[in-house]
Amino acid sequence: MIRDANPLIHPFARPLSRVAIRRTKSYQSDLASIIYETLREFALPVQDKCVLLKPNLVALDEHAAINTHPAVIAAARESFLRLGARAVLVGDGPALDRDSEAIVESMRLREFLGPLQRIFVDLNVDAVQATALRTRASALRQLYLPATVLGADFVVSMPRLKTHHWAGVTLSMKNMFGVVPGSCYGWPKNILHWAGITRALLDINSTIRPDFAIVDGIVGMEGNGPLQGTPKACGVLVFGDDPVAVDASSCRIMALSPERIEHLHRAGHLLGHLREDKIMQIGENIAAVRTPFAVIPAFEKLRLPSSTPPSGS
Amino acid sequence: MANRLQDANQAPSNPADESFLNLVCIPFLLRSQNPDGGWGYHPQSPSCVEPTSWSLLALNSLPDVPQVRPALDRASDWLRTAQSPDGSWPSQPGLAEGSWVTASACLALQSQPDSDAAVSRGVRWLCRQRPSEGRIWWRFLHWVQRSSAVVRHNLSLPGWSWTPGTSSWVEPTAISLILVRGCSKDAGPAMARRCRQATALLYDRMCPGGGWNSGNPFVYGVPGEPQPAPTAWALLALQDHSQRAENQESLRWLANIYPRISGPGSLALTRICLRTCGSALPAGPEFHALHARNEFFGDVSVYAWVALSLGSLQPWLSWSAFDARQP
Repeated sequence: MIRDANPLIHPFARPLSRVAIRRTKSYQSDLASIIYETLREFALPVQDKCVLLKPNLVALDEHAAINTHPAVIAAARESFLRLGARAVLVGDGPALDRDSEAIVESMRLREFLGPLQRIFVDLNVDAVQATALRTRASALRQLYLPATVLGADFVVSMPRLKTHHWAGVTLSMKNMFGVVPGSCYGWPKNILHWAGITRALLDINSTIRPDFAIVDGIVGMEGNGPLQGTPKACGVLVFGDDPVAVDASSCRIMALSPERIEHLHRAGHLLGHLREDKIMQIGENIAAVRTPFAVIPAFEKLRLPSSTPPSGS
Repeated sequence: MANRLQDANQAPSNPADESFLNLVCIPFLLRSQNPDGGWGYHPQSPSCVEPTSWSLLALNSLPDVPQVRPALDRASDWLRTAQSPDGSWPSQPGLAEGSWVTASACLALQSQPDSDAAVSRGVRWLCRQRPSEGRIWWRFLHWVQRSSAVVRHNLSLPGWSWTPGTSSWVEPTAISLILVRGCSKDAGPAMARRCRQATALLYDRMCPGGGWNSGNPFVYGVPGEPQPAPTAWALLALQDHSQRAENQESLRWLANIYPRISGPGSLALTRICLRTCGSALPAGPEFHALHARNEFFGDVSVYAWVALSLGSLQPWLSWSAFDARQP
């Protein structure tokens, strides 16, 4: 079965996007309540549906500093089940390390989710289906994509709030690189780099169209992310029904300008809202939680005009 | 070629390992073979070249299991049928282009009867493949953009890529080198040169302090973290330089990390490497304990690597064994 992805709608015809920012002090907070209550506000159509949570699993992560935190994944899974989802799977296809089991064990995902055999899907080695891309931003035209992603009724992108040394930031859109299977394209999925990260990102997101995004910004990563940056406490979870808008708000929280990040700038014309006046902000306002993130020198240009670099950047 | 690679060395005598091999790995591999003869990445999923190649190699290393010969024959037939007219194998049925799995298919078939022609065509395809970062225009762009500040690769060294039209990476380069190095003596100077370049590339991509990751030893001046699996493949490919300081340093890194490896695939490849390179196996995780956690997520390739690591030493991986069998 092919997922009935959200249609592409011209920005003028698209309704306001909704983004909720919740202060969340630590991973020991009552995440299940925070996430459940926030999801309820969005009235998501997940009753009896198969939900796929797509966290960002990048590398071995004994200190829980790189990947989406397992406490957030577990709380999101519990919340979607409470909302009536028939099944809630967790799936990713790490790009740089083929040993997905080592990654999930290093981050203690099993301790948070329980037995993983029927919950976790290694998207790198899932069954695949040739899928025509819905846009032609890159020259890729088609990709083989995992059956679990294509068959899910509701896809949730769950990145960690991080800067990225190639793309500027890695948030809910960049996170979708992980659905491209290594069994077809290798580790890393270098075909996407050769197609152009920005353009490939647009094509993947226009085709999969994640229905929702939850950004783990309780502790993010600044500097030389996604692997070698520095943990940065930010104390927020960011939710939304438009991944572009969620990423835009997340950038503003990091004191970065989403309009200056190429893939977001382009996505703002096609996939979702980038402009603040098109985003209905729920919960905390951005200024109240703004936490400037350090970036590598090549990305100093991404800073919001009014922001000052964090000390040590 | 088949007989050259048949002799097996002793299997490990640890009873727990032997029982895991005989009671878990072999039955899993035999029952997860598809009716068409191939294996998918998981049981009941469509046959693909890579899991079929590793499963074939794993079962081929078992001397006395009665059901194995028919399984090997059916797997060989499937692999030969899956070969593209240009000599390559695609990573997934239906994909038009050949890929890195061409090397693993050739490694698997070279121990099987009636496969010499298929292997030769596969090797020729691999030797025609050039990674894209070596192209003049790309190197010029790299120079203009001063990308050398970002990564420090020597772009003039061609290895092998995962898919055509992309860059060289450690694992496809290492696996291809293991294959073509064995064929290079009678394949002429061009292939020998290619082997030398791939060897140089692997050393160029080594992480500071030893070991390899997918192929980025530095990004923005920060040293990359090595990983067990790429390190194991690279060391297996560089065995004929075993006295080089880089090999020794990387082997030490691998032996040190062994007790802390938490993934069965990485553990199996590390074990294969340490045994093949003649290093003592440190005390480390037991496969049955790792299996009890997630049953390897049903990943066929992982079961095959574990079987390979628990079975006899693999002649197709050993330079000295291969050299001894050269005519």
